[in-house]
Amino acid sequence: MAKPRKEPLFFNRELSWLEFNRRVLEEAMDPTVPLLERVKFLSISSSNLDEFFMVRVGGLQQLLDEGKTRFDPSGLSTVRQLSIIRRRTHQMVADQYGCLLHELEVLLAEAEIRRLHVQNLRPQQREYVEQLFEGDIYPVLAPIAIESSATFPLLRGLALNLAVRLKPAQDSPRKQRYAVVAVPRQFARLIPVPATEGFQYVLIEDVIGAFVEKLFPGEPVAEWVPFRITRNADMSVREDQANDLLAQMREVLQARRHSACVRLEVSDTATYLMLKFLKGALQVREESVSRVPGPIDLSAYAALPRMVAYEELKDQPWSPQPSPQVTPNDSMFDVIARKDVLLVHPYESFEPVVRLINQAADDPDVLAIKQILYRTSENSPIVAALARAAGKGKHVTAVVELKARFDEARNIEWAKELELAGVQVIYGLKWLKTHAKVCIIVRREPGDVRRYCHFGTGNYNEITATLYSDIGLMTCNEDFGVDATAFFNSITGYSQPIAYRKLEAAPLGLRAKLLDLIESEIQRRKQGQKALIMAKINSLVDPQIIQTLYKASQAGVKIQLNVRGICSLRPGVRGLSENISVVSIVDRFLEHARVLYFHHGGESLVFISSADWMPRNLDRRVELLVPVEDRDHQQRLIAMLNLCFEDTAKVRTLMPDGGYVRAPSSGQGKPVRFQEAMYRLGREAAQRAQTDRYTVFEPQRPASAAS
Amino acid sequence: MRKQTPTSQPPGTTPAARTLAVIDIGASAMRLRIAEIGADGEVRALESLQHAVHLGKDTFTTGRIQTETVEECVKILKGFRRIMTEYGVTQPDQIRAVATSAVREAENRESVLDRLYMSTQINVEAIEGTEENRLTYIAIQDALRGEKRLKKGKAIIVDIGGGSTELLLLEEGCVTFAHSFRLGALRIRETLETYRAPTDRVRAVLDQHIRRVVDQLRHTVPVKQVEAMVAVSGDAQFAASLLSPSWASDRLVSLELKGFCELADKLATVPVDDLVRQYRIPYQEAETLGPALLVCEQLARVFAAKSILVPKASLRDGLIQEMVAGSTWTEEFAVQAIYSAVTLGKKYSFDRRHAEHVAELSAQMFRALLAEHKLDPRYELLLRIAALLHEIGNYVSDRSHHKHSMYLILNSDLFGLRRKDIALIALTARYHRRATPQPYHEEYQALDRDSRIAVAKLAAILRVADALERSHLPEQRAVSFAREKNQFVATVHDVQDLTLERLALKEKGNMFEEVFGVPVLLRAARAAKSESAHG
Repeated sequence: MAKPRKEPLFFNRELSWLEFNRRVLEEAMDPTVPLLERVKFLSISSSNLDEFFMVRVGGLQQLLDEGKTRFDPSGLSTVRQLSIIRRRTHQMVADQYGCLLHELEVLLAEAEIRRLHVQNLRPQQREYVEQLFEGDIYPVLAPIAIESSATFPLLRGLALNLAVRLKPAQDSPRKQRYAVVAVPRQFARLIPVPATEGFQYVLIEDVIGAFVEKLFPGEPVAEWVPFRITRNADMSVREDQANDLLAQMREVLQARRHSACVRLEVSDTATYLMLKFLKGALQVREESVSRVPGPIDLSAYAALPRMVAYEELKDQPWSPQPSPQVTPNDSMFDVIARKDVLLVHPYESFEPVVRLINQAADDPDVLAIKQILYRTSENSPIVAALARAAGKGKHVTAVVELKARFDEARNIEWAKELELAGVQVIYGLKWLKTHAKVCIIVRREPGDVRRYCHFGTGNYNEITATLYSDIGLMTCNEDFGVDATAFFNSITGYSQPIAYRKLEAAPLGLRAKLLDLIESEIQRRKQGQKALIMAKINSLVDPQIIQTLYKASQAGVKIQLNVRGICSLRPGVRGLSENISVVSIVDRFLEHARVLYFHHGGESLVFISSADWMPRNLDRRVELLVPVEDRDHQQRLIAMLNLCFEDTAKVRTLMPDGGYVRAPSSGQGKPVRFQEAMYRLGREAAQRAQTDRYTVFEPQRPASAAS
Repeated sequence: MRKQTPTSQPPGTTPAARTLAVIDIGASAMRLRIAEIGADGEVRALESLQHAVHLGKDTFTTGRIQTETVEECVKILKGFRRIMTEYGVTQPDQIRAVATSAVREAENRESVLDRLYMSTQINVEAIEGTEENRLTYIAIQDALRGEKRLKKGKAIIVDIGGGSTELLLLEEGCVTFAHSFRLGALRIRETLETYRAPTDRVRAVLDQHIRRVVDQLRHTVPVKQVEAMVAVSGDAQFAASLLSPSWASDRLVSLELKGFCELADKLATVPVDDLVRQYRIPYQEAETLGPALLVCEQLARVFAAKSILVPKASLRDGLIQEMVAGSTWTEEFAVQAIYSAVTLGKKYSFDRRHAEHVAELSAQMFRALLAEHKLDPRYELLLRIAALLHEIGNYVSDRSHHKHSMYLILNSDLFGLRRKDIALIALTARYHRRATPQPYHEEYQALDRDSRIAVAKLAAILRVADALERSHLPEQRAVSFAREKNQFVATVHDVQDLTLERLALKEKGNMFEEVFGVPVLLRAARAAKSESAHG
């Protein structure tokens, strides 16, 4: 049966990720997408790529530098992976700029939104810009002259700079020299200029460049070019040596500022001399240099849609709807006590979660609040509520994951704030990232103590909850309360992990549970039963899970996967995976919810989870798998999983060769668009609930009369 | 003195359930259970925490607990304390913390307990083996209720811990034998490690070692064969969950001996690391799993038990039940303790009828005098037992039989009672006649002050009760007790004459008056209209 196969069993994860970013870029290229949304997708594809270079390319490069070359599950060596990545990213960057310069900027100009060069400004615009430079920008510029490569300044990763080549003054004996000017970060990159019609802007580096000679009186400027570097950020705390995680974390942040340069982006206007200088001073290899034909760092364009009013060039807003299960202004404790609440964000509002924690902070009967915080918003109302609760004498415990990548600095800040407010703050577990999302509220009620739990697939962040698709489950079911507190006690170190009634947690039992669930479908199929697995996850990389899915496919289990990002599983290969289909949706909202369905002989097992199917999630993170038991909730999630596969607008199907293709347009009728359908369903339900409330007369009684 | 304070409640709310916490410091783990007791006495577990500790490793190999281990315990207890605080469990009367064999046997036990108290304000009590017996028995009551197999015939209940094994023999539902053996799964594991047996010999050494202890144990237990064996340990529960996956926690699961033995044999050879990986159990549990199951297996074999019954119960359940009962013993325990006293009495050919009459009268007086003696209701049981046994010394000789009674009691085991309780019973029996407590009475002086006072009070009551039973009547007389202004009156109903009793009372001296400050007056109440009093 297992005859040697030419094609490897797995797709390489880096290349699969690049495929994902290509799908994002395709949204920018899609003429059916509103113009300013296309700009937004372009900027996302750019910032995605930045992170990819920092973490993935950085990591691979470091392996190579340490001489540790190894083969990935698809059989590619580190060297080979890097060279393919370089080739593909060069192409991707070319496509990004092609898209910007030849499509988007042309269309934007048609809509009277124009990027201008300083030399092309009309006189009063030029005067405006010059005043801006003289008054605001010039005073904060700190040019650094480079005498030798040893004196090259420490540059911040991903920050924009100008490299300036200076000719010696006419009568000076000195050689030509170079200088670096960091573009100050406190100014917006896109600077609007007064315009008679439409919206016109200049880029800050252009403004600085135009007046750069004012910084070097007496030395003529031969050329100036914008550039930036990307540093390896794939480094973490050596936790075996970390006595004080907070201090060590700060050191890592420090170290990241010095780490190796994995990419140099420089304007393609740079001369040979300038390039030679930068490469030498930054010790960058030729293959790490990216010459770009337009503005560096397209993520800056994320600001453009916010700066202009052109609503016709943007998506119709799909604002979060109130959940029909949650009555406005009601106590969340009453709502949850009536029935478990399932929230599907961002179609349904995150407000009930914030309300729950706020009410918990102010409720005199709440004894304790325990919460895991991974990433959260600035000025988070949840963090404020936790601090307030501690101030009121409640026992508040917050597990703050300092190791949430790129949020470390912010996390350190508010972790300290919480501590000062009297919250017991725990910085996650040694070796493991705490990625599970759970909040427990212990409340003394007449007769007994009750625990209200919220389990989520996304972070406690009310801002991203309007942009990411996530699931939240609120319950006061006893079993979940017992499990959640036991889970919490194991993270806080008060107890060893003990067996759970309902939940499964990584790194202990989650992987085994998933394998069991898949195996169980295999056994049922072998006994002639119907067998079906549906899953919606962000990444699928774990070789053991993939192998078991292959085994299931071979046994005849039908498997439908909706994997937004990386997928190492090769679907649709005869004899290997012909019963597996994989789709990916890239649309307005970031697909983020992890929802699993197992047919289980018709019993329907449905789970939500914080974990992706990657070794790091299953083995090196603290994650949760939460069963959804309410039949109505199950039906909602199953309908959602099915709906993904009916999408004909935004879905791409993964091919056996690793490419993604769009669904062929049926030609007849309106195509199905998953996110739009979800939004419509959410709105209809909210409207129905609203009318229902109007038809039931509920007398308002003074508060004192309420029981 | 002691006020019964209900848990403080904000006014206007329904009285909440009582929340309490029990902590069990065992040989290899510390465990906390926070539970809520409903108005109907229903127990609901809120939190269960556990943490591995090296107490057993320390005590069983070096005899004392190392400083690092103590500090580790302090850290864990502090964590427990925090979780308890979250549930409002902060008052000493909401918390009971006990330590078993590993702490009990440590040379530095007292300083360890002091250190724990100083840094956590949790008063940990090192309990005796006999108390473990009692707690085990109480713990399984819920699970055993309605279990017919145990109402008839013989059964043994075994709780195999890390450092000790509690064994109870149940005959027709009564505890007829109880003992705590120094046989523990961790002890065995440690012994094994000191042998440094080669891996392939481990199993043989293990078997040999266990067989030897089990053999010794068999000679102590006064039966050869039992119908069933109840196994009360985490290890047995683990085995049960494997053998009977659909086991509902509130039910007792019955395991076939054959299947159990096969599983025990299989697991005993699996390396500890593999057990941890395969079954996802904590390391400290994996370490003792093999030895514990093998002990279980051997016990079941030597007593020819047909099945092994496993309840989901532990020492912590027993502790909680006792806290629910508050300052009294649980009823189930009181019945068994009295039963064991009667068994002891029979052994020394006591006059059962007389003993039981005196016991009943003593108990009545104890209740009538609550306001005077201010003793915990628990002392009623001790008084009852002292009354049951006060004359067993007659078996030795009727001269100074009260002293013989004391020695016999002091050297006996009474089910579930601490040495301290037994000493109290023995001294109460001793002072039922002749000399009142004197400073030169060695055993009396060995007691702490509270106990000395308790003995005096109980003995004073016992003397009166014994006097009332002077005639050794076939039927117990109806007596009612009442405190009147300057005297304590015992009204004996339906009698003509109390001369004999008065004489007896006089013979026993005026200990009652010395202790309670008022004399006892015997009053005969004749049938029907009775009001007159004798002078």
